Amino acid sequence: MEALAKYISTLSLSLIITSYLVIELRNLRYSAYAYIAQAVLMCSLFVIFATQNHNLYYWALTAFITKVVIIPYLLLRFIRRHTDREFPPLIGYLGSILLITIIVLALYRITHQYIAFVAPTPSAMEEPFRTNLAVSFTIFIMGLYCILVRRDAIKTVHGLLILENGVHLSLVSLAPLLKETAIIGVVTDVVIAVYLLLYVISGVHEKFGSTDTFQLKGLRW
Amino acid sequence: MNAEIILYLILIPTLSGVLIFLFGKKSRLFSEGLAVLGTIITFFLSIQIILLTTRGEVLSFFHEEFRVDALSALVALLVTFIGLIAVIYSIPYIRKEVKEGLIPPEAIRSYYGWLMFFFASMLWATTTNNIIMLWVIIEATTLASVVLVAFYWSRDAVEAGYKYAMLLTVGITFALFGCILLYSGASPHIPNELDPLKMTEIAKVAGKIPKSIALLSVVLLLVGFGTKAGIVPFHTWLPDAHAEAPTPVSALLSGVMIKVGIYAVIRTVLILYPFYSAISLLVLALGIITMVVGVLMMLLQEDLKRFLAFCSVASMGYIVMGLGLGSYLGIYGATFHLLNHSLMKALAFLSIGGVIYATRCRRLSDLGGLAKTMPITAFTFWVAALALGGVPLFNGFMSEFTLFLAGIKAGHTWATVVAILVAILNLAAFVHISYHVFMGKRSSHLENTLIREVPIAMWGGSLVLALLCILIGIYPQVVYPFLNEATKAIFTFIPLP
Repeated sequence: MEALAKYISTLSLSLIITSYLVIELRNLRYSAYAYIAQAVLMCSLFVIFATQNHNLYYWALTAFITKVVIIPYLLLRFIRRHTDREFPPLIGYLGSILLITIIVLALYRITHQYIAFVAPTPSAMEEPFRTNLAVSFTIFIMGLYCILVRRDAIKTVHGLLILENGVHLSLVSLAPLLKETAIIGVVTDVVIAVYLLLYVISGVHEKFGSTDTFQLKGLRW
Repeated sequence: MNAEIILYLILIPTLSGVLIFLFGKKSRLFSEGLAVLGTIITFFLSIQIILLTTRGEVLSFFHEEFRVDALSALVALLVTFIGLIAVIYSIPYIRKEVKEGLIPPEAIRSYYGWLMFFFASMLWATTTNNIIMLWVIIEATTLASVVLVAFYWSRDAVEAGYKYAMLLTVGITFALFGCILLYSGASPHIPNELDPLKMTEIAKVAGKIPKSIALLSVVLLLVGFGTKAGIVPFHTWLPDAHAEAPTPVSALLSGVMIKVGIYAVIRTVLILYPFYSAISLLVLALGIITMVVGVLMMLLQEDLKRFLAFCSVASMGYIVMGLGLGSYLGIYGATFHLLNHSLMKALAFLSIGGVIYATRCRRLSDLGGLAKTMPITAFTFWVAALALGGVPLFNGFMSEFTLFLAGIKAGHTWATVVAILVAILNLAAFVHISYHVFMGKRSSHLENTLIREVPIAMWGGSLVLALLCILIGIYPQVVYPFLNEATKAIFTFIPLP
C-alpha cells in the first residue's frame, strides 16, 4: 500500500506540472498535447486507485474516451482550422510562471495541511487521498487562473478543462462510490460544453478576426 | 400512471426536438407544428401534475430518481406555460426575421429543435431527485440555450453567446464541487440500503454533515447556482444574453430559466438552514445586494432589452431576499414572487418584442408615441410595467407586499426599507420607459415607418399573461393553494434541527 501511495502521489503531483504546461505553452497545439498528457495521467491514476476500488475502472474508461480521445480531437480540429498561436497574454512568461508558482505553493500547502476542513471521512485525510485532494484543489485554482488571466478564447477553454479535471480528480477522495451514470452525465456535459464553446468561439473568430477576448467589449454596461 | 407522467413530461419535448432536427429541414411548418404540439401536450401534463401535487401527493418514478412535489410542479408548470406562449409567439416573429434576411431559412429548424431541448432540460432539472444529475441537467439547460443566445450570429450575438457559455459553465463548475462536498459529507450518515445521491436522503442527514464541509458547500453552491439565477455579483452574463437572444428566448431565459437556478438553490442550500443561521443571513444579504445593483443598473440603460434584463436581476433580489428571511411568510413570498415574476417578465419581454417586430428599434431614444398604432401591445406593456413596478391591484404588488411584511415580521427592518426603496425606483423607471415608448409624440426616427399592431399569435399570449397579472393582483387567493403547497413542500424538505 505504501508503494501504491508513492505512485499515486507522484502521479498526482505530475498533474500540477502538466497544468503548468497547458497554461504556459504559447503554442495552442502543444498546450492541447499537454492536456492530453494530463488526461492520460488522470486515467492512470484512476486505474491505480481501481486496484483498491473496482468501481474506478469504469471511471478510467469514461475519462479515457472523453478526455484523451473526444475533447483533444475537438480541440486539435479547431486549432488546425483556425490558429495555433495564442493571442499574447497580459502577463509575460516570467511574471506568469512566478505568479502561478506562488499560488500553487501557497494553495497546495494550505490544502494539504488543513485537509480536515473538506475531508468527509478519516480515511480521506490519510495518504494518498490527502495529496490527491490537495492536488485537485490546486488544479482547480490553476484552471481558474488560466480563465481569468488569459486573453485567448481557446486558452480559456483549456483553463475550463483544467478546472474540470480538478473537480473530477477530487471525486476519487470525496465520492469514490459515485455511480457510473453520474460520472457519465458529468463528462458528457463537459464534452458538449467544449463543443459548443468552440462553436461560439469560431463565431468570435469569424466576426472579430481573432480569438482575443479583450475585443469583446461591445456589450459593456 | 400518475408517476409516468413525469417521464412523458421530459420525453415529449426531447422527442419533438429530435424529430425537428431529423425531419424539419424541408418543411418549416413541420418544425413549427411539432414545437407547438409538443409544448401543448407538456403544458397539459404539467397541469395534471400540479393538480395532483396540490392535493398533497408527491409523485416519484424510477426508484425515486425522479420526484415531483408541489414546488417542482409549480416550476414545471411555469416552464410549459411560458414555453407554450413563447413558441406560438415565435412563429410570426421568426418568420419575419427570415423574411428580412436577419436569419437564414434553414435556421428555423435549429431554433425550434434547440428550444425543445431547452424545455426538456428545464423540466428534467425540476423533476430529478439526484444531486449530481441536478447539476448535470442545470448545466444542460445552459448548453441547450447557447445556440439560441448566439442565434443571430452577429458580433454582439457571438459575444453574448461566448460570455453566456463560458461564465455559466465556469460558475456551475463551482456548484459541482458544492454538490460533491454535500454528497460526500452526507453519505457516511446514510444507511447502506439507501441511495446517498438522492436529495431527499441528503436532506434527512443534513445536520450531521461536518460544519466545515456544510459551509464550504453552501458557498460553492451559491456561487454556482447563483450564477445561473443571476445573483449579484455572478450576474454579468445575464444582461448580454437576455438582450442579444431572439425576444421569445429572452422571455424564456428571464421568465423561467433563472428560476430553475433558484430552484436548485432551494433544493441544496435551504436544507442547511436549521443548523447554521449564518447561511440565511448570507442569502438575505445577497438578495439585498442583488436588488440594489439590479435597479441602479436599470436606470442607466438605453436599450430596452438590457433594461428588462437588469430588472430581472433586481427581481431575483426580491426572491433571494424572501429565501433569506427563512420564515414561512418569507419563503411563501419568494415562491409568490417567483410565480409573478415569470408572468410579468415574460409579458414585458414579449411586449417589447412586439415593439421590435414593428419598428426594428429597441433604443429608448428611437421610440415614442406607439400607443396609437399598437394599442394592444401598449396595454400589455403597461400592465407588465405596473405589475413589475409593484402598483396595487397588480400581481407584483401582492408578492412584494408579502415580502415586505415577512421582512418586518422577521425583524429585518433594514432589509425591508431597502426593498421598498428599490420598489419605488423600479416603478419610477418603468413609468418613465412606458411613457416614453408608448405615449407622447412619435419619434422622428419612426416618422416615415409604417407601424402596425403585431399579429394575434404574438399579442394573444401577451394578453393572457396581462389578464393573469391583473387577476392575481385582484384575487391573490386564486394561486394560494398552489403556493401554500409549494411552500409546505420546501419546509417538508428542510430537516428539523
